[in-house]
Formats: sequence, C-alpha cells, structure tokens
Amino acid sequence: MLLVPCPNCGPRNAADLTYRGESHARPDPNTATREEWRTYLYLRDNPSGWLRESWYCSSGCRTHFQIERHTFTGELREPLLPGSKTGGES
Amino acid sequence: MADLTLTNLTPTPKTTIRAAADTAAAAELGLTFGSSERRDGDLVVRIRPDEWLVIGSTATVDALDLSGFASRIDTTHSRLLFRLTGDLAAKVMEKVCSLDFADHMTPNGACAGASVAKTTCDIVRDDVDRVPSYLVLCDTSFRDYLRGAIEDAMTEFVGA
Repeated sequence: MLLVPCPNCGPRNAADLTYRGESHARPDPNTATREEWRTYLYLRDNPSGWLRESWYCSSGCRTHFQIERHTFTGELREPLLPGSKTGGES
Repeated sequence: MADLTLTNLTPTPKTTIRAAADTAAAAELGLTFGSSERRDGDLVVRIRPDEWLVIGSTATVDALDLSGFASRIDTTHSRLLFRLTGDLAAKVMEKVCSLDFADHMTPNGACAGASVAKTTCDIVRDDVDRVPSYLVLCDTSFRDYLRGAIEDAMTEFVGA
C-alpha cells in the first residue's frame, strides 16, 4: 500500500486519492507555440528518480496538491498545496 | 459491552456550508479542519478546510451571516446518514475503511472524508454515552450497497 501524505489530511492510502500525473508549468497561452502546447499536453519525462507530480485528495479534503515521488523506490516527500513555494531536488 | 447497532438517521436535517476563510460564516463556525463540536444540540463538523456540515437542525445555520463568498445547501435528502454504535464499532470500520480508528488517531469528535467500501464518505466520530459511535455520510444512491457492506463487516463481531 502506498501512503501518500496529503498536506491537509496527513498520510492516506493512495486508493483514497486520484493520481493526476507529472506536474508541468503551463505555457503562456498568448505566446506558446503549437510545439510547446503539444509538449505540455502529451509528452511526459517518466524518469527513474525524483518526479514532481500532482495528486487530488478525492475522498478526503478535495484538494489538489503536488508531491515529489521517487519512481524507483516509491519514497514520497515535500507535499505542497497550490500557491506554496516549491523546493528540493527535481 | 455495548452491542453493535447500525441505524439509518437520514431524515435528520443536514446542511452543508461552504465559506472562504475571510468570511463571517467561517469565523462563526470556527473549529479546526477534522474536528467537530456539539452546539445547542446540533453537531457542527468542519469536514473540509472550506466546508462545514451541520447535523441536527437548521437553527445554527439560520443564524449564520452568509455574506461574501459563502453558501449553504440543504443536504438532508441527498446525503444518507448511518450511525454505527458499539464497543467494537472501530473494528467494523477498519474492515471497510483504510483510516486508523485507534482512539489516539480518531478520538471522539474527529472527522474525515474517506473511502468506505470504495464509496466516498464523510465519517464523524460522535460517541453516545461513552460508547464509540461513528456517523457515516454518503450519497443516498449508495444506501443499499453501503448498508450491506457495513452489515457484512458487522457479522464477524455480532455477539462477540
């Protein structure tokens, strides 16, 4: 069982949350090229290592948040609510 | 030892209030996220950071100042309400829910949103005469399924 630390609810079973995928900065819609939009919408890094990703606490506080997960070890760290400053390694 | 009982309390008036942190309603309702309190017979629950649930009557809600970014909605008939009571109620809940129902993790008054038998529910611990008791709220369309799932979990402990 993967325990995901929601910033509001604390550690919760991953089955109680919804995985929203890798986090990417959204391009500026006024200046982004078609290639940049394509990259933002469809391309994923899928690294073996630390990855910043988005989760939705669908059964709990109904908040979207970001967290860093090591895709090889499953370790989780630095859960962040929207508006919080990001930090740590990437 | 108090026997396990599962009661359907759905007709009890329930009101959901959503309010931004800087509103008068949020200040009046107060509480910290994940806690609840009895006020004039009503149970006031802060079920989410920006959402409160009032169970019992509409008197508490009628007195609220809902100016600004705040709203109320009567969920009496859209949300079912079960009460599971008994000394082994925590054991039953642990069979259908992944939360930790130990006293130090979920004391009387604690609340949380969680999956119960794969159904998104709100859970409030509201002990009755010092006997552990849990309120389980869910969309009414899951009534028969959820009741069956909880009763099935209870069978192991009935008469224990």
